[in-house]
Amino acid sequence: MPFINTLNRRDFIQRSLLGGAGLGLAALTNVPPFAARALAEGTIGLSGKKLLFVFLRGGNDGLGSLVPVQDSAYSTSIRSTTLIARDGATDYAATPGVADFPTSPGLTGTFAYTSAIRLGNGFAALHPGLKFLAPVYNAGDLALIHRVGYPKQSRSHFDSQNYWENGLPNNNVSKEGILYRTIIESGLASTSPLSAVSIQSALPVLLRGSAAALTNLTDPLRYDLLGVPNSASTGDVKATNALLSAQSTPFPDKKSRAFLSLQYDGLLKTLSIFSSLNFTESGNTYVDDVNTDGGSNPYYLFPTSQAKNGGYAFNGNNTGKYVVDQSGTANSFFASLKAAALILNHTDAVIAGTEIGGFDTHDNQGGATGLHATLQQRIGWALYGLRKYFQIYGKSGSAPVTGAKCAWSDVVVVLLTEFGRTTIENTSRGTDHAEAGVMFLAGGGVKGTGKSGRLTGVVGCHPGGTGAHPSDSNAPWISGPANQAGGVDGSMFGISDRYLKRSVDYRSVLGEVIRDHLGATQNQLNRIIPGYANESQEHLLTGGTVTTPIESSGVSTPIIGEPDILG
Amino acid sequence: MNAKDSPLLGLLLLSLLTVQQATGQPILPAPTLTNLTLNGSQRVLRWTPFPAVQGYKVFSTADLRQPFTEDTSGVNNGFSWTGTNTGSARFFRLDTTPLDSNAIVTATALNRLAYGPTPALLDRFKTNSIDSYIAEQLAPETVTETVQNQHTNIAFFEGKLAPPATPVPLTNGTGPGSAIIGDLRAWFALRAVGADRQLLEVLTQFLENHFVTQYTKSLDYFQLYYGDFNMRSRVATELEYREITRWRNALMNPGVTFKDLLTISCESPAMIIYLDTVGSRGDGGRVPNENFSREIMELFSMGVDNGYDQTDITDMSHAWAGWTVDFVAPTEVFNPFATRLLATGGNSVSNVPGAWAFIFRTNYHGTSRSVFTNKFVPARFGAPWTTRTYANGTPGSYQLTFPVRTGTNTIQDGYDIIAHLADLPFTQEYMSVKLCRLLVHEDFAHGYDFTAPQLTPEAELVRQCMMAWETNMPRGQIRKVLDVIFKSDLFRSHTAAFAKVKTPFEYTVSAIRALRVSTDGTGLHGSWSSDTDGTSLATPMQRMGGMVLFDRAEPDGYPESGAGWISAGTLAERGRWTQSLLIASGQTGHNGSQNGTGNDAGNSVTSPVRLLFTRLPLVTDQQDTAKVADVFLGLLFPGEGAANLNLYRTAASTSSTPPMTARPRHPSARSPLARLRATTPMTRASAAWWRC
Repeated sequence: MPFINTLNRRDFIQRSLLGGAGLGLAALTNVPPFAARALAEGTIGLSGKKLLFVFLRGGNDGLGSLVPVQDSAYSTSIRSTTLIARDGATDYAATPGVADFPTSPGLTGTFAYTSAIRLGNGFAALHPGLKFLAPVYNAGDLALIHRVGYPKQSRSHFDSQNYWENGLPNNNVSKEGILYRTIIESGLASTSPLSAVSIQSALPVLLRGSAAALTNLTDPLRYDLLGVPNSASTGDVKATNALLSAQSTPFPDKKSRAFLSLQYDGLLKTLSIFSSLNFTESGNTYVDDVNTDGGSNPYYLFPTSQAKNGGYAFNGNNTGKYVVDQSGTANSFFASLKAAALILNHTDAVIAGTEIGGFDTHDNQGGATGLHATLQQRIGWALYGLRKYFQIYGKSGSAPVTGAKCAWSDVVVVLLTEFGRTTIENTSRGTDHAEAGVMFLAGGGVKGTGKSGRLTGVVGCHPGGTGAHPSDSNAPWISGPANQAGGVDGSMFGISDRYLKRSVDYRSVLGEVIRDHLGATQNQLNRIIPGYANESQEHLLTGGTVTTPIESSGVSTPIIGEPDILG
Repeated sequence: MNAKDSPLLGLLLLSLLTVQQATGQPILPAPTLTNLTLNGSQRVLRWTPFPAVQGYKVFSTADLRQPFTEDTSGVNNGFSWTGTNTGSARFFRLDTTPLDSNAIVTATALNRLAYGPTPALLDRFKTNSIDSYIAEQLAPETVTETVQNQHTNIAFFEGKLAPPATPVPLTNGTGPGSAIIGDLRAWFALRAVGADRQLLEVLTQFLENHFVTQYTKSLDYFQLYYGDFNMRSRVATELEYREITRWRNALMNPGVTFKDLLTISCESPAMIIYLDTVGSRGDGGRVPNENFSREIMELFSMGVDNGYDQTDITDMSHAWAGWTVDFVAPTEVFNPFATRLLATGGNSVSNVPGAWAFIFRTNYHGTSRSVFTNKFVPARFGAPWTTRTYANGTPGSYQLTFPVRTGTNTIQDGYDIIAHLADLPFTQEYMSVKLCRLLVHEDFAHGYDFTAPQLTPEAELVRQCMMAWETNMPRGQIRKVLDVIFKSDLFRSHTAAFAKVKTPFEYTVSAIRALRVSTDGTGLHGSWSSDTDGTSLATPMQRMGGMVLFDRAEPDGYPESGAGWISAGTLAERGRWTQSLLIASGQTGHNGSQNGTGNDAGNSVTSPVRLLFTRLPLVTDQQDTAKVADVFLGLLFPGEGAANLNLYRTAASTSSTPPMTARPRHPSARSPLARLRATTPMTRASAAWWRC
């Protein structure tokens, strides 16, 4: 649309004039904020509820994270090196309803326990690298959802990531994010300078869209203008004024300019907000409120350096006491995660998140140790640390930071990944791209084990009976194809077909979070996730059997609809 | 020049170098007046800016039956015109003087075929047709390359990148075989900044990014063989260098085809390691690794969801099993059947003469099958693609069946695939789309219905590219395709100039080029008004969105779209780097460690004053603010049109006050040159200053 941006620019001039000098935040809209806000339905952003996302790029091996350890086909005949072995002394069929938590007192290595960790639903287990999920799980604050995918699942990273992020399976043209639409529906984009933030190398599709610039920080510590030398007090003001000046000068419309200009707006609006937060390493003083992991010291919650990595520094620099691998990648991931947590706790942002790569384990995936195990450790500690951060330092926490805005019950942490991996190991001791995978959701408002009489926080990884999740009954246990290797039919594992089928659509999980947690109305949700508006075919809300044209012809897939994991 | 005194220039460089100029929608609505206000005794007309306009003129008439005449009673002020409200009604219309077409194409070509304009190139094509430049860039073998003279680091790095003469393959120090990845990056950047064969550099980077491989993955792989980090770092670096050297050499061949380029990628040890073919086995019923099989179709040739499915991926994965790497004599580096030098498994091979090479292991190879079984070219391609034969006798069928082969002959399965994929219509389409995105604008996609009665200009250009690919024999000649793009209306028209967002590499390199003249005309090291040691670009590129050359983790390569690069955080980084670059080295903001916060530009430096002296030799001109402003605006915004720069021009030559309303220059304002002199030392002729 030619010239539309010129109009935007003119609006901007007017707003800037109205606001006088500086950023003119008060004048970001000509409609008073309360009035503009009242125009929106729902309570997104008003309820104080927030979302923290982490995208696991590359396709996490869900079967290696949430292990169907009681499945008869789960054996070395399909996974020789990537198998997570059972512990001979553990009765995985028992249903205590809580997970085992193999702690590591004294100098015992953090991850000395290398068997599958019983989850207590009689069927599933955790990768030992995820041991720190056990306390989160046992508090009922964790939902683990297996077999999550979407119709006509793509096994391409880039397609599939796009679908997860734009909320539109099989539409790889749209680069408009599901969380972007959430913010647009909230009305915050035009009333609040800061509504959603990512901390990663580029703004993810999740937050992308043409009508508002959501913020991406590549490095929170460097998020300012260089300013003017020798003038710390006025430098940024001058640089900011120069940007404002460039921004307020009209220009001929060109393909990329409207987009660029929008991002400059975002920059100008958020510079001062972020400069008030302490993202530094020395500011990372957040520690556990108990002696962590059965030891005698409270660990740092965000291992952003070696000294803050688990029990290392407390145990004579013992590398066996790390809670995650000690690497630049892990440190910077936790720095980004910390930034996301700080932003949610200190600002009015509703959504913050980051990403972590390395999950494309085609080669030398490893089992209880190795590449995939390292990644699981990061996931496990991330959720453990986030929970503690908000419980201690968040609103109404035990030691809240000044002006804390976010309690653990206000936040849902969701981990996304574009697909699971093949059930059968390849010859490079890795696994290839497949279909359904695992979603992790954590938060004080998550309805996990022990809450509402629940015996489990695991969805989609139980063949039925005691220990099964109530939502599982919405869809039958999906059998794998006939087991040609002599195993038992009805396993989660296909022997001739290496792809786990979905029984949950990722949109149902995100939809439940966006509506029941963030506060969207069902009408809003129908716009945020258009599949909801087609319940008779998509069955995202209450489940059902998905057939053509949503599925390929001849395919019919029973799904459970929303997994009932909140509230 | 110093950001303190002219922040606007810094921001101009920031905001407008961020986009490349080019081409696009052939039709835009004509510029129109959008607003008329009567304000007491004033009558103000406003209009929206229009691309590539040299002058806006207001015409008026009191009577529509009479011709409009230019109304000189008012004053043009950027995108508005203020005249006297005479009280009697008049009709107004806007008239524009367009920039001449050669200037437009010049701006586009220098931003697409090259890493941005330099002052010298802009001078050269003020009067000469840019078509001569396009023609010579298409034939780099006809261009004399002088980049080696421009910076002593180039020879220094080439010395390290050269193959060692001694039997010890990869050595410490600065001799042949000692290059590490930072050396390769710096050398690559220096060539981009200074090369005469600019299109060759652009295309080499395109291929490097399209056939993406990852230095770090090789580095990890060689942990099996080298305990010493530096040793495996040199090995991994050499694989990247070998790859781009082969592409570079191939591009110097006038008849180079896509098949040639694809073959280089498939044979590259860096690729075999990167996409895990190296450990894949298809023998004895084993399940081969699918990674390369998928990505060669999805990303390197056909495009996602374009003519293949999972069955083809699985089928094809058997054929690639056996494509692995091993350590062989240096003379055997292109012999896939060479004998491995030693049992490498678990052994350190440090200090043994040899090189890592593509080796075919017959005993790993899977049972050959057919791929694309029963698949036909979709009707949307139309003739000739739907009607010709491919790898079998049935028109339109592109099933590829491997003959029964045994022993070392089974390597041919892979080469059959390469030859087949290289010229499939899907590949022609996807690669044409990618080249159009690189050279025109980013809004091209694959999946067009080429049989539609009315094609969009984008679809039509892709089809023309495919026709050039298909009908010139041998098929797939890159230069034929590029020629179609460079002659297209989309490329040559002005309407989507500034259509592309620059990658961090393009951004940093083009910023240095934009202000870069040889101040004494020698073109030698030390004479440049703007330069880099090469090494100093790596850190800012990393900060501007994680662009680390030769080390992309994901196999889709670095983004071609602006949305992949631009966010508030990366704009802050672009702004910081530009500010630092424009501050004299050694002063606050351009001093100290580049890893800190106060020296974003490092050993990339520019002296706008030295540049200005070459452009405005007369002292009186140097003190004329309007002329000074015009120098920089002309260098930074060729193709924009002078009239669209008026507000910037006024602002830059008066003060840093926002040009909301243009205002006359205050008589007491110091000339910009005086301000420049006060803050920018004329330094750095010393060659030592540049050394890495």
